[in-house]
Amino acid sequence: MYADEPMRPRTMQGRAPDVFTRGGWIPMQLRSDGEEVDFVVIGTGAGGGPLTARLAEKGFSVVAFDAGPYFRPLEEFASDEASQSKLFWTDERIVDGANPLKMGANNSGKAVGGSTVHFAMVSLRFRPEWFRSRTLLGYGADWPLDWREMWTYYAQAEQDLSISGPLSYPWGPKRPRYPYRAHEVNAAGLLLAKGAEAMGYRWSPTPLATVSAPRGNSPPCVYRGFCRVGCSTNAKQSQLVTYIPRAVRAGAEIRDLAMVGRIEVDATGRATGVHYHRDGVWRFQRARNVVVAGYAIETPRLLLNSATDRFPDGLANSSGLVGRYLMTQSNQAVWGEMEEEVRWNKGPPSLALTEHWNYDDRKDFFGGYCWMGQGPLPIEWSSVLTGARGLWGEALRRQMENYNHQIGLKMVGEMLPHLDNRVTLSEEHDQYGLPIPRITYSWTDNDKALIDHGLAQMRTSLELVGARNIFLQKDDTNHLAGTARMGFSRETSVVDADCRSWDIPNLFVCDGSVFPTTGGVNPHLTITAIALRTADRIEALAKRGEL
Amino acid sequence: MDTRSPTGPVAVALAAAGGMTVLGMALSGAGLRRSGRRVAARANAVVGAADRRTAVTAARRLNRASGTLAASVLFDSAVEHYRGGFHNKAMYTPLVAATLSLLVSAHGHRDRGHDAELARDLVYAGAGLAGLLGTGFHVFNVGKKPGGFGWQNLFYSAPLGAPAALCLSGLLGWLSERVRDNAPDTAPLVLGIPAGRVVGAATAAGIIGTVAEAGLLHLRGQFHDPFMLLPVTVPPVAAGFCAAAAFGGAGRPRPLARWMLRASAVIGLSGSAFHAIGVARSMGGWRNWRQNLLDGPPLPAPPAFTGLALAGLAALSLLEDQPE
Ligand SMILES: Cc1cc2nc3c(=O)[nH]c(=O)nc-3n(C[C@H](O)[C@H](O)[C@H](O)COP(=O)(O)OP(=O)(O)OC[C@H]3O[C@@H](n4cnc5c(N)ncnc54)[C@H](O)[C@@H]3O)c2cc1C
Ligand code: SF4
Repeated sequence: MYADEPMRPRTMQGRAPDVFTRGGWIPMQLRSDGEEVDFVVIGTGAGGGPLTARLAEKGFSVVAFDAGPYFRPLEEFASDEASQSKLFWTDERIVDGANPLKMGANNSGKAVGGSTVHFAMVSLRFRPEWFRSRTLLGYGADWPLDWREMWTYYAQAEQDLSISGPLSYPWGPKRPRYPYRAHEVNAAGLLLAKGAEAMGYRWSPTPLATVSAPRGNSPPCVYRGFCRVGCSTNAKQSQLVTYIPRAVRAGAEIRDLAMVGRIEVDATGRATGVHYHRDGVWRFQRARNVVVAGYAIETPRLLLNSATDRFPDGLANSSGLVGRYLMTQSNQAVWGEMEEEVRWNKGPPSLALTEHWNYDDRKDFFGGYCWMGQGPLPIEWSSVLTGARGLWGEALRRQMENYNHQIGLKMVGEMLPHLDNRVTLSEEHDQYGLPIPRITYSWTDNDKALIDHGLAQMRTSLELVGARNIFLQKDDTNHLAGTARMGFSRETSVVDADCRSWDIPNLFVCDGSVFPTTGGVNPHLTITAIALRTADRIEALAKRGEL
Repeated sequence: MDTRSPTGPVAVALAAAGGMTVLGMALSGAGLRRSGRRVAARANAVVGAADRRTAVTAARRLNRASGTLAASVLFDSAVEHYRGGFHNKAMYTPLVAATLSLLVSAHGHRDRGHDAELARDLVYAGAGLAGLLGTGFHVFNVGKKPGGFGWQNLFYSAPLGAPAALCLSGLLGWLSERVRDNAPDTAPLVLGIPAGRVVGAATAAGIIGTVAEAGLLHLRGQFHDPFMLLPVTVPPVAAGFCAAAAFGGAGRPRPLARWMLRASAVIGLSGSAFHAIGVARSMGGWRNWRQNLLDGPPLPAPPAFTGLALAGLAALSLLEDQPE
């Protein structure tokens, strides 16, 4: 297959690609559109993937839709930054606000497996206090989840994804041992460690979702550093190689290249199925329950676009909060140059981190952040040099020659939820004829204070290891969250603790959009833990006849 | 569903290697009772005087033990130091020392004489020294990295236990010369202590050290395959029996100790086969051998157990022959 060749769905014939063998297939159960399946899941990423697998393993009939293709990493993932942009959600979106988000590569994926197919694999737990940040820390909103319960689901997620992490993690309450050992820290990570030690902060090898020893049919990581454009070895424990094959084996059907455009609701106010576009036609799949897991832009877009006479403002939106409280995370960086060779692209990009400022509250702003070692690939790096540093022509060429001496630190910082940061529908339409989402984002003063603090701290760390030509990249943001927040009441949230919408009892949202706050760590492990919990809760509700 | 276990050819290969290993370990216990009785009979026949032939046989066995360890060190350090680009000239030392140790061990194996050879002694002493210095180097290297002697550096920095194998090769070789070099009609002594006891104690200690090394690296690999538990379960038992023999009564058969040592020897050999499967499980498998031999599990490392088991068996022979 070539990058510019339009892909056709692969899972129409009762089989799904076996990601572990070239040209291989695994049998997959097919359901007809007319069959009223127990669950339709929209999106197969960090939320939809585990939920689909667990529901199928619990005996429910499940059909999971994804707008993206079902890739074969061994054959189709090239060591080529440009061609791998096929993994990103690059459909048109309108961005505005004081700090418009840059959509695409850095925050959304379109593939079976979702954004995890090209994510950076950093697998961190929330600080327990963040689940009650309003009560305990004075900002944001409390979650309706108890951190101790989440701790057990984090452990399950870490097991299922074979997270490779240190034998003891320096921050937060005790956690069970990571299933695999941490990876060897590369030179870029060791410089982070040296800087942190010089500042008197603890550091740690980063818990990562890529295996440091064989796991099933996954080989151990080969440290070539192509993780953020898809891993061609299957060392990366993305949804595509973990929960998705599990889901298929347990009887779920995965429909690739199937874009859901609208959720149907009947006169009694219950969801009855979904309209989806696949292989050039619109179809309708009947379902007893519908779960939306399209991530923080597509989830509210779908809910808003499914408005009916009965729900004129969109589904699950009696609170008016669908699409609101969109959050991203600050992803600013400090870059510099070392005398010695670093070769920062060797290995996963973030092999070491410090969570110091997630756990130290002696600062004059709300929220926390961590920072990590960096290893951008050449094209990405050149775009930093042209963007943040304004280099062109000869100057850019000369700077690129220093690639192997470059080092950098990047933060993942907590941005506060704000009512006016939101997703709405625009007047324009996309290739499916669906209204294009408008994404409005502005940083709060607190966000800016946090970013300034982070930049200064990271700069000090680089200075302490003797980096030269240091410069700051002030504009970058990454992970998304919010837009269908969970909460304690139908007035103040879209879904309850079980990810069930307050308004429509058989409509769930299970992805990063349910976050009331986003914390100072990367989100996927929390999303997956929530999905695992949701599956258990759905089973319990079904047993009690409350589904 | 379990997605942790491999499928396809890898699963078949693992099952085959596992089956062969278990069979080999079981078979290595066969015939021990009979040979035990024979030993007892012979010991009774020569009450009071050690058999000189036993000493030479034991010495040659120790040469083989030393040689096996040297070979393991030679190939292991060649691969690992090549991987490290020989960035320090001293990284050639183990290659030279292990090669020499291997050569004189072969020489000793063919030598049926009763006298120590100065050349062999010098080489063995040199290997022991090189091993000590290497350990020092590795300790120093680990200590200066961020994180110091934390797990991370124990897992990935210069392995502390690897040069110790060279030390053991030198030590066992040196002991072989002492065992060989004894006056007629006397029990072989090392520094005034019965040789069987010294060799037995040294072997037990060596096995424990090697178990620690294997345990550390298999922990790094999360014991992802159940057979990875073998080298940390059977050899320690063998070491225990070996130590019990070294410090216990002499002149009697120890079939269980023999069995466990032989089983450890089997594990050392099958370990290389398992590691070869491990190489196959890396990206690209054996087709990509130039990378995977470096990054995969080390093929030459496990036979260190075989070498030590040979030394343990030599110790048992000496002890069985030693008058009470
Ligand atoms: C480059 C990059 C690096 C990252 N690195 C990390 C990291 O190191 N650690 C970490 O914790 N997180 C990381 N993340 C974030 C993490 O991947 C996401 O937070 C997480 O995957 C979100 O999970 P989700 O289920 O909400 O959505 P996704 O994983 O994005 O899945 C959503 C899926 O839904 C599909 N979809 C959406 N709408 C529809 C529709 N209408 N019909 C059909 N299908 C639809 C999409 O195609 C997509 O596949 C990274 C993200 C990116 C982009
Ligand atoms: S560095 Fe490891 S996880 Fe990243 S792409 Fe390569 S093999 Fe995959």
